[in-house]
Amino acid sequence: MKSNLNEMPNKTETTPDVPRQFQRNTLMKQPNYWIFAAVTLLMMAVPLFTSSNSVLFMLTNIFILGVFAMSYDLLLGYTGIISFGHAMFFGIGAYSMGLSLRFFDNAEAGVLVALAAAIVLCFIVSFFVGLLSLRLRDTFYALITLAVATIFLIAAEQWRSLTRGSDGFNFTADIPNNLFGFINLLDRQTVYYLGLVFIVAMFLIMRRFIYSPVGRTLQAIRENENRVASLGFNVLHYKLISNVVAGVIAGLAGIMYAFSIRFVNPHSVLGVELTIDVLLMTVIGGVGTLVGAIVGAGIIEISSHWLMGLRDVHPIFERWVILFGIIFILIVMFFPAGIVGTIRQKWKARRSSL
Amino acid sequence: MELHLTLIFNGIATGMLIFLLAAGLSLIFGLMSVLNFAHGALFMFGAYAGTYVYILLGGWAGGWSIFYFGLGLLAAAVIGIILGFIVERTTIRQVYGDHLRQILVTTGVMLVVMELVRVFWGSNVIQVGRPQVLDGRTEMMNVLFGHYRLFIIAFGVIVLVGMLIMLKKSKIGLVVRAGVENKEMVQALGINVRRVFTFVFIFGTTLACIGGFLWGPYQGQINPNMGMDLMLIAFIVVAIGGMGSVGGSAVAAILVGLSEAYMAYFFPPGALAVNMLIMAVVLLVKPTGLLGATR
Amino acid sequence: MLKVNQLQTYIEQFHILQGVEFEVPEGQVTVILGRNGAGKTTTMRSIMGLTPAKSGEILFQGKNIMALPPYVTAKKGIGYVPEDQDIFGTLTVEENMRVAMRKEDKATLERQEWILSLFPDLKAAWKRKGGNLSGGQKQMLSIGRALVNETPLLLIDEPSKGLAPIMVKKVMEALQIIKNDTTVLLVEQNFMMASRIGDYFYILDEGRTVYQGEMEQLRKDEELRKKYLGIS
Repeated sequence: MKSNLNEMPNKTETTPDVPRQFQRNTLMKQPNYWIFAAVTLLMMAVPLFTSSNSVLFMLTNIFILGVFAMSYDLLLGYTGIISFGHAMFFGIGAYSMGLSLRFFDNAEAGVLVALAAAIVLCFIVSFFVGLLSLRLRDTFYALITLAVATIFLIAAEQWRSLTRGSDGFNFTADIPNNLFGFINLLDRQTVYYLGLVFIVAMFLIMRRFIYSPVGRTLQAIRENENRVASLGFNVLHYKLISNVVAGVIAGLAGIMYAFSIRFVNPHSVLGVELTIDVLLMTVIGGVGTLVGAIVGAGIIEISSHWLMGLRDVHPIFERWVILFGIIFILIVMFFPAGIVGTIRQKWKARRSSL
Repeated sequence: MELHLTLIFNGIATGMLIFLLAAGLSLIFGLMSVLNFAHGALFMFGAYAGTYVYILLGGWAGGWSIFYFGLGLLAAAVIGIILGFIVERTTIRQVYGDHLRQILVTTGVMLVVMELVRVFWGSNVIQVGRPQVLDGRTEMMNVLFGHYRLFIIAFGVIVLVGMLIMLKKSKIGLVVRAGVENKEMVQALGINVRRVFTFVFIFGTTLACIGGFLWGPYQGQINPNMGMDLMLIAFIVVAIGGMGSVGGSAVAAILVGLSEAYMAYFFPPGALAVNMLIMAVVLLVKPTGLLGATR
Repeated sequence: MLKVNQLQTYIEQFHILQGVEFEVPEGQVTVILGRNGAGKTTTMRSIMGLTPAKSGEILFQGKNIMALPPYVTAKKGIGYVPEDQDIFGTLTVEENMRVAMRKEDKATLERQEWILSLFPDLKAAWKRKGGNLSGGQKQMLSIGRALVNETPLLLIDEPSKGLAPIMVKKVMEALQIIKNDTTVLLVEQNFMMASRIGDYFYILDEGRTVYQGEMEQLRKDEELRKKYLGIS
C-alpha cells in the first residue's frame, strides 16, 4: 500500500480544499487576539517589576523550551508521529552556536555562520531521517529517530577535540556583548526580550503553517492516513515537510538556548532525557494546540525547579520526574487532550449548552 | 585466529543476553502491536531486584554463592511476573489499538520505573560479581573460555529452544503464532485474545527481568542507565530480526552481539553506528526484518 | 435460531447498516444477496461482534448477543467463515484446525475426522502451510475450522469468491451435506450456488433489507433478479 504512494498523482495544486472536510473541531476556531495581546504585553512588562536575573532566566528558558515543545507538537499533535530524537536538532543548534562563538573572533560572523550551519544541518538530518523512516510502519519512526539521536549524542561525547566530550564547554567569555553594534547578549534583560520576540514570532509562524493547506492536509493524514492517500495526496511528502519544519525550528530553539545558558554538554542538549522532557511538556499541556506546548513548558520548568528546591526537605523530591511520569500516564489514558485541550473542550461544551 | 575465536565467543554470549531482552519485545510487538518503550526499564528493574536479593543473601564469595545467584534469578523472574501483570492491566490494556497512545503510555511507564530504580537503589553504579563456581576460565585452542559466558550461552540456547518448542507444539504457542498473523480471526474462533496478550506481556517482561539479572555479573556492574542503553539495542535487534519472530530475534541478537564484540575490540564508539547501519540496510531491503512474516 | 432486528452499524462516520432485518430459521440455509457495498459483509461482522453494531437487536437462540466481544459470540456456537478465507498462512492445516479447537476431546477429534471426510483435499495437504494452499483448499480449511467445535449456526461469507469452478462445485457439495445438521447463513454473489443450496433469501441494498422470499421464487423471477442483483 505505502509503496504505491509515490506513484500517485499529487493533486494538492488542483484541490487544496479537500482535506477541510476532515478538520476536527478541537482546533482553534478563531485566534483569540485579545488573550494573545494581553499575555504578550504582560510578558513585555515583567522586567519592569523584577530585576531578578533568576526569574528572567527561567522565563527566558520557558520561552525557548516552549518553542521547542511547539515544534514537537507539529510532529506529535499535528502529524501524529512520535519522535524520540527531537533533542538532536536542539543540540545541533546549541552546539553550532557554542562552537562557532568559540572559533570565530568576529561575533557577527560567528552568529551568522552558526545560524546557517544549524538550519542547513537540521534540514539535511530531518530530511534524510524522515525519508528513511516515514515510509516504514509508523512505529519505526520512533525507533529510528531514537537511534540517530543516540549516534549524535555519542559523536558529541567522543569527538573530544571539537566538543570537549561529555564535560561540554562553557562559552560565556565568547558571548558577544555588542552584536551588530547594539545587542548585548550578556544582559539577561536583552536575552529575555530576544526570547520573547522569538516565541511570539515562532508561534505566529507555526500557526500560519498549521492553517495553511499543507498543515490542514497533515491533520487530515493524522485523522485518517489511508483516506487522504486514496484521494491522491502523497502522504510521505507531507510528513516530510512537517518533519523538516519541526527539525529546523527545534534547531533555532537550540541556538537561543545557547545564548541563554552559555554552556553545552551532550546530555543537557542532545540526550533522550530532553526529548522526553519535551514529550511531557507537549502531552501534559495539550497535544495539537500549540498553546498547550507553551503551557506545558511553563509547568514543567517551574515545578521541576520548585520540586528540586525541596530536596533538602526530603531527597524524594530530587526524583520529581516520577510525579510527572504518573501525571503523564494519567493524562494519556484519561485526558488525551491535555490541560489546554481539555479546558477548551469544557469551554466549548458550556458555550454550546447555553 | 585466537583473537577471532575469542571475539566470536564473546559476541555469541552477548548476543544471547540481548536475545533474552529482545525476544519478549518482539513477541509483544508482533502479537499486540505494542512497541513497548518500558521494556528496557523493566529489564533494569529486574536486574536491580535480582541483584539486591543476590547481594543480600551473601553475594558472590564462597561455595554457597551459586545458590544465592539462583535465588537472585528467581527473584528477578518473580518481579518480572508481578511487574508484567501490573503494567499490562493498569496501563497498556487501556490503550489497545491506538499506536500513538501505546507508545506514550509505555514511555510514561518507562519514566516511572526508571525513577523507581533510583528511588529504591540510588543512582550509583553497583558492583556485581560472578558466583564462585562460574567465575573460572578454561583454556582450549589457546583461547580462554569464561565459565560465566558458557553458562549464559547454555541458558540462552535453552530458552530459545524452549520458546521454539512452545510456539510449535503447545496450544498457547499456536494461538500466539496465529494472533501475530491475524488477531481478529483468532477472536472469531472463540479465543479471548486479551488473555493471551496478558500472558505474552508477562512472559516477555519476565524474560527481560531474567536477562537483566544475568547482565550484572556479565558486565561486573549495574547502573541506572543500562535500561535505556540496552533498550535501543533490543529495538535494533527486533527491527532486524522481524517483529514477532523469535527465531529472527535470536539470529539478529547474535549478529548484533558479534558486531558489538568486534567493534568493542577495534573501535568502541562505532558499535552503535554499525548496528544502526545493519538495521537501516535490513529495513530498506526487507522492511519486515530478516525472518518477519511478509504481510 | 437467529433473528436480526433494525441493525444499525457505523464504520467511522459512515452509516453502513441502516436497519437490516432478517431471520434464520433452524435447519435451513438462509441466503443474503445484494450488490457490492450493500452491507452484506458488515452484517456478518456485526453479528460476530467484529464490527459492533450501534443499535438494534441480534437474537441468537432467543438471547440478545448484540455487540458481545467476538470470542464470546463464537463460544456461544456461531462459526464464522470470513470473506477471502482468512486462514493462518504461517500455520499448517493441522495447526489451523488445532487453534480453532476449544477442547481436544474425543467428540472434537471425531468432528475433525468428519470434516476431513467432507474435504479429502485437506487431508492430502495436512502438513502444508496454510499460505501455500490453493484458493479452494483455503476455503475448505476456513469452513472446516469453523465447524470443528459444536456449531449450531454457521456464517459463511462468499465461499465461491475467487475460486475455480471445480472448487466451487466441491465446496457446494460439502455445504449440501453440512446443511443437514447445521443452520447456515450464507452471503453469496454467485447466484448458481445460492440458488442450489439456499432455502430462503433476503436482499440487502444500501444497508437495508429490501426484499425477501422463497428461493424458488427468485429462481423463476428474472425481473426480480435484474432489479436488485443486476444479474439474469
